[in-house]
Amino acid sequence: MGSTARRPRLLVLTPDFPPAPGGIQVMAQRIAGAMGGFHTRVLALDSPGARRFDGEGALTVRRVGADAAPRKARNALLNAVALGEALSFRPDVTLSMHVVASPAAAAIRRALGTPTVQYFYAEEIGARPRLAAFAAARADVTIALSAYTAELIAATGAPPASLRVIPPGVDIPLDPTPLAVDRPTIVTVARLEERYKGHDVLVRALALVRAKVPDVQWVVIGDGSLRAGLEQQARCYGVADAIRFLGSVSDAQRDSWLRRAQLLAMPSRLPGGGFAGEGFGIVYLEAGSYGKPVVAGNVGGALDAVSDGESGLLVDPLDSVAVAEAIAALLLDPALARRLGGQGRERAQRFAWPAIAARVEAVLLEQLGAQDPR
Amino acid sequence: MCATLRHRGPDDEGVHSDGASGVTIGIRRLAVMDVEGGHQPLCNEDGSVWVTFNGEIYNHRQLREDLRARGHRFSTSSDTEVLVHLYEEYGDALVHALEGMFTFALWDERRERLLLARDRFGEKPLFLHEHEGELSFASELTALERVTPRLCELDPAAIDAFFVFAYVPGPGTIVRGARQLPPGHLLSWERRAGRVDERRWWSAAREAVAPRESFEQVVAEAGRLFQESVRTRLIADVPVGVFLSGGVDSTLVALAAARESSQRLKTFTIGYDVGAVNETAQARSVAQHLDSEHHELTLTQADVGERAPALLARIDQPLADRALVPLNALSEFARPRVTVALGGEGADELFGGYPRYRWLERATRVESSVPDVAVSAVGGLLRRSARWPGGARVAARLTPGPLLERNLDWVTAERRHRRQALYGPRLAEVGAGRVLGELAGRAGELDAKSSCRWLMHLDQVDYLPDDVLFKTDRAGMLASLEIRTVFLQRELAELAASVDTSMHLGSAGKAIVHAMLPPGVMAPPSRGRYRKTAFRVPAAEWLRGPLAGVLDHQLRRGAIYEEGYFDRRAVGQLVREHSSCVRDHSDQLWPLLALGLWADRFYGLDGA
Repeated sequence: MGSTARRPRLLVLTPDFPPAPGGIQVMAQRIAGAMGGFHTRVLALDSPGARRFDGEGALTVRRVGADAAPRKARNALLNAVALGEALSFRPDVTLSMHVVASPAAAAIRRALGTPTVQYFYAEEIGARPRLAAFAAARADVTIALSAYTAELIAATGAPPASLRVIPPGVDIPLDPTPLAVDRPTIVTVARLEERYKGHDVLVRALALVRAKVPDVQWVVIGDGSLRAGLEQQARCYGVADAIRFLGSVSDAQRDSWLRRAQLLAMPSRLPGGGFAGEGFGIVYLEAGSYGKPVVAGNVGGALDAVSDGESGLLVDPLDSVAVAEAIAALLLDPALARRLGGQGRERAQRFAWPAIAARVEAVLLEQLGAQDPR
Repeated sequence: MCATLRHRGPDDEGVHSDGASGVTIGIRRLAVMDVEGGHQPLCNEDGSVWVTFNGEIYNHRQLREDLRARGHRFSTSSDTEVLVHLYEEYGDALVHALEGMFTFALWDERRERLLLARDRFGEKPLFLHEHEGELSFASELTALERVTPRLCELDPAAIDAFFVFAYVPGPGTIVRGARQLPPGHLLSWERRAGRVDERRWWSAAREAVAPRESFEQVVAEAGRLFQESVRTRLIADVPVGVFLSGGVDSTLVALAAARESSQRLKTFTIGYDVGAVNETAQARSVAQHLDSEHHELTLTQADVGERAPALLARIDQPLADRALVPLNALSEFARPRVTVALGGEGADELFGGYPRYRWLERATRVESSVPDVAVSAVGGLLRRSARWPGGARVAARLTPGPLLERNLDWVTAERRHRRQALYGPRLAEVGAGRVLGELAGRAGELDAKSSCRWLMHLDQVDYLPDDVLFKTDRAGMLASLEIRTVFLQRELAELAASVDTSMHLGSAGKAIVHAMLPPGVMAPPSRGRYRKTAFRVPAAEWLRGPLAGVLDHQLRRGAIYEEGYFDRRAVGQLVREHSSCVRDHSDQLWPLLALGLWADRFYGLDGA
């Protein structure tokens, strides 16, 4: 193995891959697509429109599992097919993008001696602590999105493998120029499924922000089953007329709101009972890439995503008064908002995908020399 | 007025009068935070904003830090002072920054505008009287009566409602012309315009929603909020204890308090020398588990005979919640050792703890499958033959009809149907439908999708403030002890209101709270359910024993009979049946006793 004549082979195992929507999906694609030093093959779950999507891209993507099947069965199928795929593809490195693919990665490592690089986010560690511990223990290198993610991995009790913290990247927009808006605007971008994102705290904060900025509006992008409850909460606080729930919108619409708003607010907190919170918070960087300051919680992945006082304001995410004060400070002081926004844009450049993907590739290339010759 | 309020605050007294506008605000205080520096009324830096405040702001230290960072100067460390500075920052919206139980009056001298506020759940009371552009207010009805001689007549409709509910439902009061500011409301009064504006600033949601999150996630979130609530409520410059009933709610409070407290926790419980409702054993075993400094009070029949009549007469508005007497006794018992006690009030209302929610929801479902005639026949039979108050509850489960009426029959043990026989001429003209109509108005529009959610909301805006919290505040304050409720925290209440009701009810009710309890602390539940043990009271025995003489005296001389509100003969019959153990009429006699003793004081017949 390891002939210098051919490019080394990389097998990427990921349940999540575009065109299915989501942050992890985009990440898997950005990374797999940028591994110029490798001959790359992706094994992913099927999703509506996948065939067309894969046909238009340059990557070789194998799809498994009908979309209608239950998630658990599809993940099991992904693992089974992965082993067969590895036997024919003979990868030099396996990149497992999610702990649910770790059983296959471990089996490939055992059968072929192929080193494994395992990605960790946050939510999955809280939801599946035993599988996460297994994944961390069987990997040669683990990649954590943030220092918070690294803590979560350590808390599973897995033996400390070689750990790298590599943040996710951001797509730098072609046109980040601000758009005009008729009211002072706060925007939040997140699915409305997890309470820890802090929409509830923002409703409470809005009642206070309004006392200082009477015509403020809060634009809520994203949909989910928490929406009805939030709409009710807003009515109970008498702030319903200051909130626009836009639901799911296109990327273009989302980007246009990031250009319009004065700031992005998402005070993510740490949920109780061992559930994990924000692994990183890529949306903070996206806001930064549009030159917008952010208000975020001073816990979890946001500590890595936002630089307090530089690209945004980090506050106690449970304290609605502190959240309101931070928002009002940015709305009432355009110079401050511009300064933090400008610094946020510079900071986002450092997280541009090409640079981040290069760091991931470097980790993968390191594994080539360190193969276990079993 | 302030002299009347001495028991609420033995530690301090103060008054501020604005000569130009003729506005006066005054205060008596029980000093819990900043015992030395908290003199009231307080003002801001230039004396243009004055405030009197009753209650406790749990997050005042954090607020003070924020405000100081923004350039506000503080001259005391009391929680009251944050109000004037918060008002300068946020105007009326300051209430949204407050975590705690409170009422306050804030006088803005520049705008000549008074702002009155009451906390979210109605933990602290605020009574009002308006007359020809004048506004008077006080935290006790008695104090309001002193400054407003006009308030000298009882309201027959309120007496009717009191007999049915066993408490006076807000926003009315027992005294004609006086009313309450409802929980979560603000009232502003502008002197120049003479204009009064009242609006709601907070309420928990009442509609049914169904997020997709897991039960475990909700329990984890509730547990985090609960622990946080206990932590903030333990911040005091004085010793803090926990009232332990042996039930799930107070056990959770004690567990969390033990975790947060640096000192050995003090726990207090109460038992009786009569009846079969002694819960001290369960409380003791929890106390052992926690290794707390545990104190048990046995409330004897002799104690009850001595303290109950005075207490029922002295309270500013009549209350027939049987737990008032023991809770006040427990507060006096605890007072030499602690100034503040944590309690588990509100858990049943917020988290669906009353079996009624499940039964009535089931009943509405069963109804469609059983013929109405059969069901109402059985229900009617039960109602007539029942020798025990529970019969009415069973009947309520079975009798078809509007949800509100069923609920009312359940909670009032059918006093609604018995009242015509007991009422005297003064109450004869009270409309039979009025209490129902008012109750429906308080609950708001019925969301037919979930009867359970609607009933929970009704209890939160009605029974909770007007009975449970009034009792808690008065029982504690009459002993100069502050009781802090842990479940009544805004975030926790909003979480509870935003999960699906099926998650609350589970298989046995209050499922989220039960799931917060770690295994091994309490005896395992029987049939999936912990026994409900919230300070139950042997009132039926007391009415036959130590209070029989008071009942008799009432019948002969009591104001409610003399003034023609109740019929002496009809009530006399009830008393005879009860004393001879033929029937248990305590559900009707206890309200009559409570009202009778209170009315004697009101009419000056108590010799005081």
